[in-house]
Amino acid sequence: MIRISHFSTIAWATIAASAIAPHAAAQTAATANSCLACHAAQTDARLTAPAVLFTQSDVHRDSGFGCVDCHGGNSSAADKAPAHDIGRGFKGKPAGRTVIGTCARCHGDAEFMHRFAPRQRVDQATEYATSVHGKLLATGDTHVATCASCHGAHGIRRVSDAKSPVFPTNVAATCASCHANAAHMNGYTLPNGSPLPTNQLADYQKSVHYRALTKGNDLSAPTCNDCHGNHGAAPPGAGTVVNVCGTCHAVFAQKFDTSAHKQIFDKGCVECHSNHAIVQPSDEMLSTTGRGVCAACHTAGDKSDKGSVAAESMRGDIARLKSGLDQSRALIARLKNAGIEVGDQELALREAGTKLTLARTEMHAFDPRLVSPIIVDGTRIVAGIDRAGQDGIAELRYRRRGLALSLGAILLVVVALALKVRQIDRRQNRE
Amino acid sequence: MIREVIAWLDDRLDLTDVRHFVAEKGVPVHAQKVWYYLGGMTLFLLAVQIFTGILLLLYYRPSAAEAYESVQFIVTQVQFGWLIRNIHSWSANLLIGLAFAHFFSVFFLKSYRKPRELTWVSGIFLLFLMLGFGFSGYLLPWNELSFFATKVGTGIAGAVPTVGHFTLRLLRGGDDVTGATLSRFYGLHVAILPAVTTALVALHLLFVQRQGMSVPLGVERRLKPGERLRQMPFFPNYILREVLAWYVVLAVLAALAAFYPWELGTKADPFAVVPPGIRPEWYFLAMFHTLKLLPSHILGFEGERIGVVAFGLIALFLVLVPFLDRRASRGESSPMFTTLALVGLLYLVSFTIIGHYAK
Repeated sequence: MIRISHFSTIAWATIAASAIAPHAAAQTAATANSCLACHAAQTDARLTAPAVLFTQSDVHRDSGFGCVDCHGGNSSAADKAPAHDIGRGFKGKPAGRTVIGTCARCHGDAEFMHRFAPRQRVDQATEYATSVHGKLLATGDTHVATCASCHGAHGIRRVSDAKSPVFPTNVAATCASCHANAAHMNGYTLPNGSPLPTNQLADYQKSVHYRALTKGNDLSAPTCNDCHGNHGAAPPGAGTVVNVCGTCHAVFAQKFDTSAHKQIFDKGCVECHSNHAIVQPSDEMLSTTGRGVCAACHTAGDKSDKGSVAAESMRGDIARLKSGLDQSRALIARLKNAGIEVGDQELALREAGTKLTLARTEMHAFDPRLVSPIIVDGTRIVAGIDRAGQDGIAELRYRRRGLALSLGAILLVVVALALKVRQIDRRQNRE
Repeated sequence: MIREVIAWLDDRLDLTDVRHFVAEKGVPVHAQKVWYYLGGMTLFLLAVQIFTGILLLLYYRPSAAEAYESVQFIVTQVQFGWLIRNIHSWSANLLIGLAFAHFFSVFFLKSYRKPRELTWVSGIFLLFLMLGFGFSGYLLPWNELSFFATKVGTGIAGAVPTVGHFTLRLLRGGDDVTGATLSRFYGLHVAILPAVTTALVALHLLFVQRQGMSVPLGVERRLKPGERLRQMPFFPNYILREVLAWYVVLAVLAALAAFYPWELGTKADPFAVVPPGIRPEWYFLAMFHTLKLLPSHILGFEGERIGVVAFGLIALFLVLVPFLDRRASRGESSPMFTTLALVGLLYLVSFTIIGHYAK
């Protein structure tokens, strides 16, 4: 059971934010900032770091905000006591709920945010209150992530900045800074009571999504927050996994919705594809033998097991089309290298490839009768490519024969000319 | 039969002058006479280009919408279209290669010296014209590589000081490479350049016939006073050897066309991302790679601009070589110009190879 004693239905952070005095932001820009000067001169790294980070690169500083906008106090005072004056609203280092309130004071105010980032959402604190982090924080658990845990407190960069800890390629590492830390996660449990695992990052790094994001530079590839949400981070419920995956894989989700498995699979897509370690799917998965995932429920070779028969039938169909397509591709590539124009055949290859993809998609309805017509269409296209390919091979032979004959004729002329030149030279030398 | 035809023509046109010319024309015989064949081989390839070019014209359509498809039609549907297109492409490359070889042989043998200055000047302009043919013809299939290479090439023309922007717009027919560029390059390739080339080739050949073959400086200087080099009759001895060389070139051309066909690639898409490894044809690689290596600024001036100006000056120097090499004109050896030719040759070969393998 997750450590939540009660669920607060009130987005307390938002309320807290509204209770705090209106922001004097941007008007207290660090023009003559004694906070930075004093903190930079400290010997304790914990005290110097904020000043160093804030002066390097910070989205708030760039927008004209200063230390006192979050921490209160008086940045124009030369001494510590008047600078840290509680009467001037000094609250030191915000922690726990105070972090949410401090950030939400501006980020929850649509009118205020409109001046700086008109398109930015202002419901982060409300969403956060619905997250597992927010709910645990509401119970008094201060180990959970708050705004600063992910975005940083000083030196905050825009989400679109590649160096930001919440830039797509950095999100997994940011989440893992807590979730891969066994000591930090100690005591947190899954709904079934088992300890919350800490191998999510290791699993995710094996996934096709991680590869697309980090190796393929595809920033639209999913990372932690794309499935779990960011401010409202929570594990997708068993029944909602298909909706989560279906956000991107819409057609697969539609097919799955029509299948018999829809009623049976508790964890939806995860049953076959896993959750974090989603590897590149392969045709081998569709089988009751070898690397087939159907074997988890169906018996190999059992003719009375409809699922087993359907899986092997669809697998056989798809394998047949794939094999034919591979052979045709090799044939067309050979012809292309030999200089035969194969533009039409390449187009047909793409069309047959689309049929194969369609068949692989359609099988998520787990009904061989829907897959079979697509395979028939694809096989027909492949046969057409092969016929054209054989014509190309014949044309290639014809060209080679023609060249050999031409070269033979040219060689004969060259020899004849050489003999004639020699004859003329000899005759002239004799004269 | 041939004699009867000649006699028939002689009756009507009085071919006495021609008969004397044919009987008396000779070619000097010496160890370096092999270089004489290069000019004729280049001329033969030019004839191949004209012949195959005219055949391609029958089907080619010069518009951004149809150019690629028409070339595709030529190589797939037209009888022997693939052969004609491959020969045209290969012949273009061999032609430029042989033109360069001819240029360097003349340079090293100092054949440009008095009285053949104008033969050299016309030859240099013909070499520039051949490069112009190559540059304009490369775009005509309107495929991805040629499109982006033309973009880069015309961009370099834009770096010429003062008239750069005007030249760029003149070449492209606008600010960017579009169908208008294709129309211009087509007009240049099939009308303007052929017209100028025909006139210059006629002039070049006229000079060669009027002045005869040049004897290399070294051979000439070894002759004793009053001694004359042995002459080989132009007809039939030399011309038969020349035809033999043409047949060898034809065999090489046929083999290249059949075994290494010229790829058509994918159709140009102006909105596509620039594919990696875009580079011009091999004969522009040395220049292209040099411009790439230049720093962005040299002495406060734009590096590319300095490079383009330098290449312009080199071209001007090449035109003026016969007038600058006074020693060769006086029949004396001129090691400085031999060294310059050697440096030029080494530079072209090495930078072409480096440019080919550079990323």
